[in-house]
Amino acid sequence: MKLDRYELKAEKSMTVFEFVSEGPKGAIQKLVQYGETNLKDFYNLAFGDKDLATGEIDDGIVSNNGDSEKILATVVATVYAFTDKHPDAWVYATGSTKSRTRLYRMGLTKYFEEIQEDFDLYGQREGEWEFFEKGVEYQAFLAQRKNE
Amino acid sequence: MNKTLNMKVKELNKSKLPIVRIDNSLEKYKDKTLFKDKLDKANEMLKTTGLPKSKRQHS
Repeated sequence: MKLDRYELKAEKSMTVFEFVSEGPKGAIQKLVQYGETNLKDFYNLAFGDKDLATGEIDDGIVSNNGDSEKILATVVATVYAFTDKHPDAWVYATGSTKSRTRLYRMGLTKYFEEIQEDFDLYGQREGEWEFFEKGVEYQAFLAQRKNE
Repeated sequence: MNKTLNMKVKELNKSKLPIVRIDNSLEKYKDKTLFKDKLDKANEMLKTTGLPKSKRQHS
């Protein structure tokens, strides 16, 4: 993926990443977390804005900083870094709203050919997982690194 | 010299695997659940849907 993206920082285990979105609304700190679920090697990918005053994270906020493509490319880059450190991990992601899930789907669709070189990608539809296909509306996404 | 180095870093940062700077100040988030609602939803999904039933066969 040759998209421009932000520089990344992480703690040692590569489950928490931080980057700074820059745009007309200024610099906005973003945190990405791969949260451990009840199933071993199954992680929930979530990201949101860090409120510098309270330290709280808000994943529902729409920052409108004019850089959504760059943010998505940066989050995708964290998937590479995370799965490089955790090669057996399943990464689950869904948007906090339907429109955000749709935005993720559009991003995955756009770079599907490149993504599928390195990942098995699934979409959740009507309570089932199926291999991701372009043009299909999904409720959530699941990826696992291909282990050569 | 610095310009060349900066250019190399930019080029490297365009590879699929990004350059990630380790920042120990982020350790404080490691054991915290930052996105509880989403994590709860993921666990709920695991109960109802589980994992994909079939996996792609790689050559």
